[in-house]
Amino acid sequence: MQGLKYIVETRNLVKRFGDVIALKGINFKVRNSEIVGLVGDNGAGKSTLVKIISGVYTPDEGEIYIKGQKFRRLTPQKAYELGIVLVHQERTLSENHAIWRNIFMGRELTGPFGFLRIRDMRNTATKLLKEIGLKAMSADTPVKYLSGGYKQGVQIARALCFEADLVILDEPTIQLSISEVQRVLEYVKELKKRGKSCIFISHNIYHVYPVADRFVLLDRGKIVAEFMKADLTPEDLSHIMVSIARTGKIPVEYEKINLIHSSQE
Amino acid sequence: MGRKSFNTKTFADTIVNTFNRYKLQVAISVIFLVLWLIFFTMNPKGFSEPATYAAITSVAPFTIIPALSLTYVIISREIDLSFPSVMALGGWVLAVTWRALGPTPIGVILALLAGLIAGLLNGLLVTKCRIPSLIATIGTMFLWRGVVLVATEGFSIPLGKFRGTPIFQVLVGRIGGIPMQMVWAITIGILLWVFLNFHKFGAYIYYTGDNRDAAKMLGINTSKVLICVFMLHSVIAAFAGILVTLEMATFWPALGEIYLLKSIASVIVGGTPVTGGIGTVFGTFIGGLILELIETGILAVGVTGFWIRLVHGLVIIVALIAQVSIREREIKRMRTIMGIG
Repeated sequence: MQGLKYIVETRNLVKRFGDVIALKGINFKVRNSEIVGLVGDNGAGKSTLVKIISGVYTPDEGEIYIKGQKFRRLTPQKAYELGIVLVHQERTLSENHAIWRNIFMGRELTGPFGFLRIRDMRNTATKLLKEIGLKAMSADTPVKYLSGGYKQGVQIARALCFEADLVILDEPTIQLSISEVQRVLEYVKELKKRGKSCIFISHNIYHVYPVADRFVLLDRGKIVAEFMKADLTPEDLSHIMVSIARTGKIPVEYEKINLIHSSQE
Repeated sequence: MGRKSFNTKTFADTIVNTFNRYKLQVAISVIFLVLWLIFFTMNPKGFSEPATYAAITSVAPFTIIPALSLTYVIISREIDLSFPSVMALGGWVLAVTWRALGPTPIGVILALLAGLIAGLLNGLLVTKCRIPSLIATIGTMFLWRGVVLVATEGFSIPLGKFRGTPIFQVLVGRIGGIPMQMVWAITIGILLWVFLNFHKFGAYIYYTGDNRDAAKMLGINTSKVLICVFMLHSVIAAFAGILVTLEMATFWPALGEIYLLKSIASVIVGGTPVTGGIGTVFGTFIGGLILELIETGILAVGVTGFWIRLVHGLVIIVALIAQVSIREREIKRMRTIMGIG
């Protein structure tokens, strides 16, 4: 039963790159319909962790449970089939092609003999774009002409279209203007409204804070703290992050709300 | 009201997008027409005679047919330099089979099968052995040419006695004055156009060339796509080899060599960039016609054949400049619409 509570759970994940240990025994969970803010400095292991969950990297030790099913390793295709969609700045788009083609990329709707149901895909894409607030955009527009925020929007529309269960957003707001960031945060709220789970990676506390339910803080390959959003303000979170960066520890006054310590002790 | 204005905008967008989508094809067709006009003005009599067009359409398909499927290869961001040798391989298999068994479809089937095997080898070298296609197909180019040379010991195989047989007529006969090879080129062109634009396979070819990592991440088996593309291209090259052999009623071991650069140039003049991800079958078809029109046109206006390469070169350069300028303008225009700096 416990497996069903979590969409993803990792146990003692270890990942080494040569002599460097990128992840040192990570126990990480995402509940159904939960948005987890995964924060930490450069090199903390955030991207390595999500790359293992999305099948890009193979862990050296440990296990991954997706919807309660145990895996030693995943491939990107397998992860995708299991409903995990990675949204990355420009990385998973075919830039020269229309928005509707990108939304259905790899899961095209086809009729007899594998011919594309172009009208159906275009209509669905147009509807989706409208739903996530891109209504002025024609589904025929090639993706390369879109701004960074809209490109994230197309990838999120794809995740919605495929009924993805877990959407991983790897620095979705990096290099975006203020209005574009707001747009991306709206997309994330839309995902939440539809009951999707999300891992939101960001350097910027003020981008993650408004949308996340829980924060997981990574530092040098370890989860050092976990907080519920209700327990702290963005300023608290920022203060904790600075302290971790300087001393490697969280300030003592926050220890009692740190879910890691309260659960382990 | 909001709804009404939204629909109008989408409609206008669709029209603009449709026009912009075909802008390159329009440009290449204009180049073709301008060239034709120039030749027509210089020799109105010659270019009013059906014989001139019969000449163009009887040889153009040999450049165009392999170029059509080469478009698939280049869109998938690969290259195949072995197809002229595969044309020779196909022609040789047909010639040998017909000499032994008479003019039978078995010869055609075996020749196409030889093409299929050659394509499979290219595909496996590129995807499984991870050899860049430029290098791998230089290898197979020498390999198949070598096989043909060793097998024929450099001698030609005459096939004149099969002229006029039904199968000969179907492949390279004349129908109402139109060479059958042109009918084949148009048929193959339409089929490849349909599959590229309206079939899952075509979509995967585009994604494999445009962003291979993304395609893989989204579950597309790009190795399988590439193997299929190489196989398809080699089968079509072998078919073109059959047509050349029969049109000339002789197989000769150097068959195909002249089509290497002409077919590649057809694809590029037709608007398919070597960087992959985009491109059209229609453009390639017109690109091939342009190159052949120049060859016939130069001779028809009475200058020496030495001018052919020079004019080819000029037209390729003009076409490339036109393409770059159209693409850059399009980017600027779309950026203004989208409000990106």
